[in-house]
Amino acid sequence: MSDQNFGRYPYYYGPQGRLVLVDSALEAVSRGSTTIGLKTEKFALLSSHIKPIRPLVEPSEKVFPIDEHIGATGSGYIGDILRLIDELRIEAQRHRLVYETPIDVGSLAKHIGTFLHSYTIYAVRPQAASVLITGTDPTGIQMYQVDPSGTFFKGQAFAIGQESDKALDVIQQKYSADMNVEQAVRLSNEAIEHALNERPIVEHGVVSADSKTFKKL
Amino acid sequence: MTTIVAIKSKDGVVLASDRRASKGFFIGSKITQKIYKVDDTLGMAIAGQLSDAEYMIKMAKAERKLAELRRGYQLTVRESARLIANLAYSGLKSYTPYFVELLVAGTDSNGPHVYSADMSGAITEEDFASSGSGSPIAYGVLESGYNQNMSIDETKTLASKAVLAAIERDPGSGNGVDVLEIPALLTREVRE
Repeated sequence: MSDQNFGRYPYYYGPQGRLVLVDSALEAVSRGSTTIGLKTEKFALLSSHIKPIRPLVEPSEKVFPIDEHIGATGSGYIGDILRLIDELRIEAQRHRLVYETPIDVGSLAKHIGTFLHSYTIYAVRPQAASVLITGTDPTGIQMYQVDPSGTFFKGQAFAIGQESDKALDVIQQKYSADMNVEQAVRLSNEAIEHALNERPIVEHGVVSADSKTFKKL
Repeated sequence: MTTIVAIKSKDGVVLASDRRASKGFFIGSKITQKIYKVDDTLGMAIAGQLSDAEYMIKMAKAERKLAELRRGYQLTVRESARLIANLAYSGLKSYTPYFVELLVAGTDSNGPHVYSADMSGAITEEDFASSGSGSPIAYGVLESGYNQNMSIDETKTLASKAVLAAIERDPGSGNGVDVLEIPALLTREVRE
């Protein structure tokens, strides 16, 4: 512990008034695989870079079905991502038990936001994972990003993980509200390629307003 | 004791009840309210233990407000009915059942709906439903008088006729009729 921090526990605010553990978690996310989400009124696409792995090992799954109509992906420590994915799946099924209807995307994002927030107020390790959640509900196609602090954002396009700023630049320049799924897949491949300077292996998942289902491509 | 009815019409739902609260062979109250407006789009009619029913209605009110604030749009009638049925079921399974039969009726973006719920936690969707000691009599009127194309005014008339018939012959029901109408908010145009 530094002199400045003497007597303070690491889960308290740092001298600059920042939550140092949350900052560290965000830093870990920014070293995760480049992951993109983008949506139009008709569909939403989730794309995640599969990091090169050594021969004889299968790469881990990165795009996850949450319920019939919702999918999610994440960036950060895979163990933490999987924990969040499971939490999303449980909440989606809990909603079906209580109301007998599919959950809306906003409620899922808020739930996982609350879940992540609980790791920021105690002497525990905040989850080193950000997730992108997308799906369809009575308000249309929705997309959210949720960060380790519990903060969530609603929007048309997100990029998280390694070099996500560069990937987001490409998407902000070339995003169009009337593109189709093929164009969106090409755009997110291009964004990841631009960010990483290599031809990437990317896993995709799509939810469409017509079919109201989430499917991996 | 009690007679309550709920009827679905093409442009809304109607709830009706008598006003008698029985204490054995004694009339405990002649002005009992058995129909509650949960909010502008949902109503509930209760038969059975008043305290249990009021608790369930309060819970339904609170949960509906919370759900709307959290997700930004209201619970559907079916979601509300399922929520109430779950509460009833948890009571049954913990050996402290809620002694109630409820009619949950309202309108949402899918149109008007009537649900019947009981202390077992079962819910069924109906065109019309009745509960309480007067319900066999009310059902006689409803079965012969109901059709799906009635206006909301005709539905109101049928609802009070059903409760009035029960009041005539059921000693557990009486002292006048209450009616609540919940018109459909959205009238959707049907295109050919």
